Amino acid sequence: MRVERRITLNADRDTVWKVLGDPTCYPSLLPHLQRWETINQGPPRVGSRYTVLWKIGSIPVGGIVEVVELDKARDLAWINITGVTQRGRFRLRDAGPGRTVVTFRLAYHSDGGLLGLIADRVAAHQVGRSLSESLKNLQRLVEP
Amino acid sequence: MTGVADILEWARQQVNARVPKADLDQRDPDYIRDRLPGVWMLASLYFRADVRGLDRIPAHGPVLLVGNHSGGNVPPDTFVFTLAFCSYFGVERPFYQLAHNLVAIYPALGWLRKFGTVAASPDNARLALESGAAVLVYPGGDYEVCRPSWQRHVVDLGGRNGFVRLAREVAVPIVPVASVGGQETALFLGRGEWLARVLMLDKVLRLKSVPISLALPWGLNITDWLGHIPLPAKIVIEVQEPIEVTDDDQAVYDEVVASLQAGVDRLAAERRFPVIG
Repeated sequence: MRVERRITLNADRDTVWKVLGDPTCYPSLLPHLQRWETINQGPPRVGSRYTVLWKIGSIPVGGIVEVVELDKARDLAWINITGVTQRGRFRLRDAGPGRTVVTFRLAYHSDGGLLGLIADRVAAHQVGRSLSESLKNLQRLVEP
Repeated sequence: MTGVADILEWARQQVNARVPKADLDQRDPDYIRDRLPGVWMLASLYFRADVRGLDRIPAHGPVLLVGNHSGGNVPPDTFVFTLAFCSYFGVERPFYQLAHNLVAIYPALGWLRKFGTVAASPDNARLALESGAAVLVYPGGDYEVCRPSWQRHVVDLGGRNGFVRLAREVAVPIVPVASVGGQETALFLGRGEWLARVLMLDKVLRLKSVPISLALPWGLNITDWLGHIPLPAKIVIEVQEPIEVTDDDQAVYDEVVASLQAGVDRLAAERRFPVIG
């Protein structure tokens, strides 16, 4: 299941990256966050790990994520190494002078065969809402 | 009378002989992973469950989770909390649930062992805790789970304080887990302790009660041995602050009960209607 939300911000990519590239900003960025822990200290880099759990439905869902792609002010991608199989990405692109298009993408897949597929579909609406809220929070954080 | 006593003793031995000693290796994280989506849908859509305070559970090491129990022989609080624990800490963290002997030997429920369910006994609990696992126990067990629905917000562990001694001997903290909603999944009319005594089930099967309830699909439901279809009551679970175990077992027991009751009272105050929540 892949869910994607997009927003155009009145801020340049470097300004947006100051938030997205800073792990300490994520608790105020991601809604319904139940657990956020930095496993590796230091600035984020490929291989950095964090424990991230969002409340989806009745319980916190997530696990340990690992950064797999970090292209400053362009792309940040991660995969889950525990919990629900997941791949996420923030994609930053210019949208004119002083403006940035941010795409927040989450592809996930639950185990469990048919029930897993149904659960993925059921969760998609709430996941999409969480992505939208994250981008609105990002807008509040970066726009003057 | 001697003949009856002999038969009862023989029956008790037969049941006990069938209670499996905990084999912790039967827990299968991959099996749990496969089942979580189905359980998640049941918890999220049917029971509209809400689990809070999981961050109060120590992130590592053995811990004894002590809950109040509700819902007859189909207690939704157990599987909702198991789902939440496995999601929050990952299926990789060893987690075992203690269940009544009859649950442990019931052939149709063999799959529960893959979830980490073991027969409730001090030896099994000690084995799990000493292996470094988190263990969930409902001391009130079959006694508490069958209380009348109008006592649904009363924590009654029946004075069973063996879990305190266990926690003290193994030197693990106790974390109370309060829940509401389970006793609204059917209309429980009474424990039927008198019926358990008349049928001598208290001696043979360690069953102190034979619950009487109005439940789907049976209507009048006596014993609940075949289970029932639970009403879609909203289940809310809140983990309380850990309690350090001291040498005074009774004081620790009282503290655990008080913590659970305070949690249940808080959650009950949020409920506007039975079942709906």
